[in-house]
Amino acid sequence: MAIGWAEIFCQFLVGISRSMILFIVCAGLSFILGVLRVPNIAHGSLYMIGAFATFSISKMIGGTYGFWVALALAPLLVVVVSLIAERLLFCHLYQREHLMLILFTFSVSLILGDLVKIVWGAEYRSVSPPEILKGSISLLGASVPRYNLFLIIIGPLVGIALWLFTTRTKIGKISRAAAVDREMVGVLGINVSWVFSFAFLVGCYLAGIGGALVAPTVSITLGMDHTLIIEAFLIVIIGGLGNMWGALVGSLIFGVTHSFGVLFWPQFAIVFPYMSVVIVLLLRPRGLLKSVW
Amino acid sequence: MKRILWVSSLCLWGVIITLICLPFGAKAQGPIKIGIVDTYSGPPTTYTYDVRDAFKLAIDEVNAKGGVLGRKIEFTTRDDKFKVDICLSMAKELIMMEKVDILMGTINSAATLAVSEYCKGEKIPFIVTFSKSDKITGEKGHRYVFSVTENTAMIGKAAAAGLAKRPYVKYWIAGDDYEYGHALADGVWGNLKRLKPDVQLIGQSWWKVGEPELTPYLTAISAAKPDAVIFATGGASMVNAMKAAKATGFAERIPMFIHTATEHSTLAPLGLDAPEKVIGTSNYHFYYPDTPKNKAFAKAFKDAYGREPKVGALYGYLAAQFITRALTKAGKMDRERFIDALEGMKVDSPVGEIEMRAYDHQAMLPMYMGVTKKVAGYPFLIATDIVTIPASEVMPSIEEIKKVRGQ
Amino acid sequence: MGDKRKPSNAVWILGIIFLFLIFIPPFAPRFFTYILGLIFVTSLVAMSLNLVVGFGGMFQFHHGVFYGVSAYATALVLTKTSLATWIGFMAGPIVATLTGLIIGWFCVRLTRLYFGMLQISLGSLLWAIVFRWYSFTGGDDGIHGIRMPSLLMSLNNSYYFILAIFILSLLLMYKILKSPFGNTLQAIRDNPQRCEAVGINVRRYQLLGILIATFFAGVAGVLFVILERSVFADLLFWVLSLEILIMCLLGGWFTFFGPILGTAIIISLRTFVGKYTEYWTLILGIILILVIFFLPEGVMGYVQEVLKPKMKEVKQEEKGIDASSGIGF
Repeated sequence: MAIGWAEIFCQFLVGISRSMILFIVCAGLSFILGVLRVPNIAHGSLYMIGAFATFSISKMIGGTYGFWVALALAPLLVVVVSLIAERLLFCHLYQREHLMLILFTFSVSLILGDLVKIVWGAEYRSVSPPEILKGSISLLGASVPRYNLFLIIIGPLVGIALWLFTTRTKIGKISRAAAVDREMVGVLGINVSWVFSFAFLVGCYLAGIGGALVAPTVSITLGMDHTLIIEAFLIVIIGGLGNMWGALVGSLIFGVTHSFGVLFWPQFAIVFPYMSVVIVLLLRPRGLLKSVW
Repeated sequence: MKRILWVSSLCLWGVIITLICLPFGAKAQGPIKIGIVDTYSGPPTTYTYDVRDAFKLAIDEVNAKGGVLGRKIEFTTRDDKFKVDICLSMAKELIMMEKVDILMGTINSAATLAVSEYCKGEKIPFIVTFSKSDKITGEKGHRYVFSVTENTAMIGKAAAAGLAKRPYVKYWIAGDDYEYGHALADGVWGNLKRLKPDVQLIGQSWWKVGEPELTPYLTAISAAKPDAVIFATGGASMVNAMKAAKATGFAERIPMFIHTATEHSTLAPLGLDAPEKVIGTSNYHFYYPDTPKNKAFAKAFKDAYGREPKVGALYGYLAAQFITRALTKAGKMDRERFIDALEGMKVDSPVGEIEMRAYDHQAMLPMYMGVTKKVAGYPFLIATDIVTIPASEVMPSIEEIKKVRGQ
Repeated sequence: MGDKRKPSNAVWILGIIFLFLIFIPPFAPRFFTYILGLIFVTSLVAMSLNLVVGFGGMFQFHHGVFYGVSAYATALVLTKTSLATWIGFMAGPIVATLTGLIIGWFCVRLTRLYFGMLQISLGSLLWAIVFRWYSFTGGDDGIHGIRMPSLLMSLNNSYYFILAIFILSLLLMYKILKSPFGNTLQAIRDNPQRCEAVGINVRRYQLLGILIATFFAGVAGVLFVILERSVFADLLFWVLSLEILIMCLLGGWFTFFGPILGTAIIISLRTFVGKYTEYWTLILGIILILVIFFLPEGVMGYVQEVLKPKMKEVKQEEKGIDASSGIGF
């Protein structure tokens, strides 16, 4: 089979666009891991809620603006859900053992999963992209869906916003400091509980955006949390726990190796993510970039 | 604090013990009991809810007329979460504790095969409602297992029969990387090669089940420029494949065949965003065949549940018909006589008369091949240019069944 | 520790439970025999996992792989070869331990979450092989209707066989934990740096711990085949491993018998609540959260605390905040 440069280029773009969604979700997961040290299995459920909310909102509003409104509102709904969960449950448990936190966030994901089923039912849902992003563009002889190009633009924007937030704003700086030494931040007279709560919401907001952005490209179903969460954890691990740029590198590795793997070696696409994790961790046992742990 | 702990733990144990003890209520000669173990959570519910609801509709009708053999029919469901181990233990619970007379389910082929083996040992009739593996009534078939749904061998034959009439030569095969996908692809390809020896397979791609992003695969396939693509996908991947085909413009450029692409379960969630010109096969459409029987069925279903029946509804309906008729014919609830009665039985259905083939216990279903199209008046795409592939062309021959069973 | 203080009490309780279990099959409904068998098999996996998680402090996230590999090894020997049944039964634990050696050898180089995620990846590679190699493993359809020797065909006989092996495994595991090796393993969990400093080869001890745990997971895999006579690729999927881990944590991961309780709670919950509602996972989630909030050391940890309030105090003096270590009841 002859593979031209056009196909390779196209596949590269598609791989990058897939990485962007992964990046947005994983940056949130990684942020929570870094600041709060919580391996949040429920992150996948929040992503799923984001996708379902996008479906409902864009259907309710309808028309051309439906999707854009949903893109703005659905992550906020996720933030509300996570605010409730945080104040009610999470905030009492930050000091617990990691394994206990895994057990706890797993239980939250069970509950959220069933709540989604109660609210949205079990049918497949589908969101259509806005008119302007439908169809595909011909680039160097290969056709790339417009929506994927849109993702390639939005991913770095979210990344830059998060970077500005953590380096330029006071609250962002405090949460970075709390990631390194939470006692010290407490000693300085800063209300750590409030900082943690805020950091948690930022992470969940990113999960919501990820869910909203993925909605037009897939079928929105129960169980999409499961498929995502394991990938997200693998990405965060190979990138370096709590490191936002690590999440970016990890996502790019996953997305791009996946799409090239599909092009050259489709029969074995199923094992690529796991292979890349094994290779990275054997070469660099603590992830590619510096972990904050 | 201590007291709260004590009280809460006591309550917890109280609840657990009550739940364990509840089923010991006396249950003497009462209704005929049917147990359904199936997946009622996660993506498969798109299919399983219709089976259950149509089954309930048909059974309610029978019960309203006084049931069969003077007894009511009662059924109870269990959710197996699409997990084989849970399915197996729930099937055992239904058989050992609930003492069901007949078992039905499931949508997971591995679970179906496991439960089927268990039913064989327990001599409980097991009616398969959605699993597509051809091993169920083929290689691993036995006296106690019946299937009212199509299987991969039938899909392969039907699809090949339809595709052989089309002019494509260079094919690409892509699909979900699991047994269903591979069995479907092998079935279609083997039969197509036999019917039309000059077809060529220029490549294959397989993705993991539930793969969310199929665009990379489609762009890789377009690069090879096949005449047509056979997609062997099912479940949630169906919707993903259709979406990706629409977004990349793939469906416009390369004809694609996907089993169930024309089926309402696939097309309904996509609304008007589904790609047109996709070739698909299905056992059932609520708008085709355009017979009074089908119209009445679709209307009754819609009145009861507020949605159009999908293919699962046909299977649920068939299961109910086969069970009630066979019970009536058997004369009493005796499992062996029930099975004897069911073998070779014919029932009337929305898609015409369906026979339960006596040799392999496989319901002989016709298949409809159509092409997706936007039609005014429907808020979703429907199948048009429907060609009926009769059951005789769809069913694997008895010789083939004998061969796989090693007889 | 618990039973040195009052050995007679614990032995009595265990003896009564054992007698009770022996008399279950002839009297209770068949389904109870089956569910108890399932609880024994699953809790053996959970307890073997607890050897490394609770007592070894390692993030063994993909323990189900060893269980599944053993079940597959047994099933393949029994269905594809004409070797004697006992060879199939031996093959399970041996293959599981070998797999444990390979995966563990890589994993002990890493710590905590990195350890866990590497194990998930390596285990998932194995899962992919089982899932994809249709001609050999049956792919995702699995292998069903595995023939057993006539002695093990009836449910009651297989129950007794499982019970016997289960009790034997428990005794062995208990002995191992009580041995100097077990003490070292727990010392490593509490303070790996100090152990390294006094000249203990931490990695080697951890690897040995993994080997022992995978061996018992392998035993459980064989018992699973005896009970269900089916194997399927789900057994090697990470979701099952997570469930086993949850059982461990729920029951009480610093206690020896905790995982049995955790397993029993989860299995009976899904069996008996599953009758009434599709939303049994919601109820499970709520119960888990209640346990986390009110019984931080798991259900067994709590039972232990209530039954032996004095022991707890003593332990706290001994070990400081991380009091929950040691083999309790």
